[in-house]
Amino acid sequence: MIMTLQRTELAPLSEYAIETHRLTKKFGSFTAVDHIDLAVRKGEIYGFLGPNGAGKSTTIRMLCTLLKPTSGTGKVAGFNIDSEANEVRKRIGLVSEKLIMYTRLTAEQNLMFFGKLYGIDNAELKPKIEELLEMVKLTPFKDRSVGGFSSGMRQRMNVIRALIHDPEIIFLDEPTTALDPQSTKFVRDTIQDLKKGGHTIMLTTHIMEEADELSDTISIIDHGKIMATGTVTGLKKEYGTESMLEVFLTVTGRELRDSASDRVSMKAVGRM
Amino acid sequence: MSGWKITTEIAKRDLLDLWRAKMLLVFFILMPLLFMTMFGFIYPPTVQVNPYSGQIPSQYPNLELAIIQQDNGQIARNVEAQFIQIAESQGIFRVNEMTDYSTARNGIVKGQVTGIVVIPQGFSAAIQADAQATIQVTVDQTNPSVAAAVQSEVAEIFGAIESQISTQYLQNLDPTVNPTFALQPMTITSIPLIAGVPTSFEYLAPSFMALTVITGALNGVSTAISREKEQGTMDGILVAPIPRQSVILGKIAAQTVRGLIQGFLILGLSMLLFGVVIYGSPITMLLVMVLGVASFIGVGIIVTSLAPEQETAQMMTTLLQFPMMFLSGILFPIAQLPVAVQYIGKAFPLYYAADALRKVVILNASVSIIMPDLLVLLAYSVVTMAIAVPIFNRAMAR
Repeated sequence: MIMTLQRTELAPLSEYAIETHRLTKKFGSFTAVDHIDLAVRKGEIYGFLGPNGAGKSTTIRMLCTLLKPTSGTGKVAGFNIDSEANEVRKRIGLVSEKLIMYTRLTAEQNLMFFGKLYGIDNAELKPKIEELLEMVKLTPFKDRSVGGFSSGMRQRMNVIRALIHDPEIIFLDEPTTALDPQSTKFVRDTIQDLKKGGHTIMLTTHIMEEADELSDTISIIDHGKIMATGTVTGLKKEYGTESMLEVFLTVTGRELRDSASDRVSMKAVGRM
Repeated sequence: MSGWKITTEIAKRDLLDLWRAKMLLVFFILMPLLFMTMFGFIYPPTVQVNPYSGQIPSQYPNLELAIIQQDNGQIARNVEAQFIQIAESQGIFRVNEMTDYSTARNGIVKGQVTGIVVIPQGFSAAIQADAQATIQVTVDQTNPSVAAAVQSEVAEIFGAIESQISTQYLQNLDPTVNPTFALQPMTITSIPLIAGVPTSFEYLAPSFMALTVITGALNGVSTAISREKEQGTMDGILVAPIPRQSVILGKIAAQTVRGLIQGFLILGLSMLLFGVVIYGSPITMLLVMVLGVASFIGVGIIVTSLAPEQETAQMMTTLLQFPMMFLSGILFPIAQLPVAVQYIGKAFPLYYAADALRKVVILNASVSIIMPDLLVLLAYSVVTMAIAVPIFNRAMAR
């Protein structure tokens, strides 16, 4: 249990940390996200699954205010993602599969920079950075360039960067992709600890075992539409299987997903 | 946190990034040093005035020249000897005495000589008969610039020899005549604006300074933002509750500081190694350079907003830089260009920045004198930024 991640709850505006109504994103004629309705309860881990190019990352980027929706509405922490973007930004943290770190800068310099973007002053930031580095066992490396870190160390840095301002809601976009088993376990344990600390987590992953282990609720998106939503046990029961992978394949089909349209969508959302 | 504090933090981070990239830092300092040293030697600052013609010699010293003597007369031989003495002592030509025109012509074809001077049969006889004598000159027409220099230098040297012949002739006719007056009743005296002999380098140093600062900022901003978009770090910035304008301003501030460091390195080197004297105020120079950067930075932001990745952004800025470098009067005065092309050159803000900087550095021009240039730069800054900022904001949120 990570005591430092216990957060002080703001007055609840609703029981949902994230809500969307007919949220849509189009890139030209291509519809990446197609009128989706999501409802993520406060304090839960919400698994958001889908094949490549299904619309997961586009949805996450809209909820993180990095993309403007074409139509529909979305609320994060009770604030509109379009008209109250800065209020949303204060309350969210983003962990992506990409390293959101400057590789030439040291671990400490990176955390200082990102912390200052949230208006945290030096006096508050220094002990916070020490705590976070200690939490992910990177204190001995605080003066080393992040560029020299292993992929596991980098992802641990990615996680604590997103926690520097103690956000209510954390978006994790494929956080364990390409990590070794030890680092994967560490990130998963951290996600569970964050939940215990009262944070709401929205998690995208291709690893069904991970979604099964961590998620309270799961939504499966494909071709920009929500295909199924429910608890892990509820979905398994509904599709008559004990395996999340079987549920996923039943919902999204078994054909390979490396078509040109998928690549177009990936490019459009700036992930290639 | 206020927008200005965020701007400062982003600028500080970018500069820290440069500081920690030691190899990049070495090249960052080496580039202007190499650039300036190279051009410093191409356009040497120490110039000796030709004592015979009073002119500054060609930028092509010690060119190989063939001379063919076809006349056996004493006058022709004296003229040849004088020509060789002046040409070689002044380092204008290395003269090869030849006997055959076709061999000398082959020398041009082979690139061994740049021109041929022929003193033809009958030269001495013509002078003795008070008739005009002829000298024949052939130049290598494959290089118009060198050909023009050869033609002009040969004419200068023979002009000096002609004066001596005419003086002698007038004194023989009438010893009471003042040959200097008879030959040149008027002289022209230059009153220099600044001390010393003007050199191309004094023109180039402020021009390069303006070029380095402006293109450095243009490249820097466009590639820095594109790189951060590509690597993902821009997401980390944009997901924070900060004004979007602070991101642009922070990047601009960092790149401007980088450009100014390089610009002043160029200036320092020009002063130390090549004797360029700064007559103007450093504050006015700084003002010109900051406005120069501001005038073009909007274009950098538009480029980075439109380019899908860093490589394309680099290609786009290179495409802009080349015409700007050649047409904005950086390497040579814009007056040398055809009138239509001059208009294109004057469309680049670099033209006004370099023009203002030259006036400040060389002629100690005050802000009021360079105000027209500054107003143009300001107008460019306002217009390009007004276009760039909404494009950037839209590109960041697509």
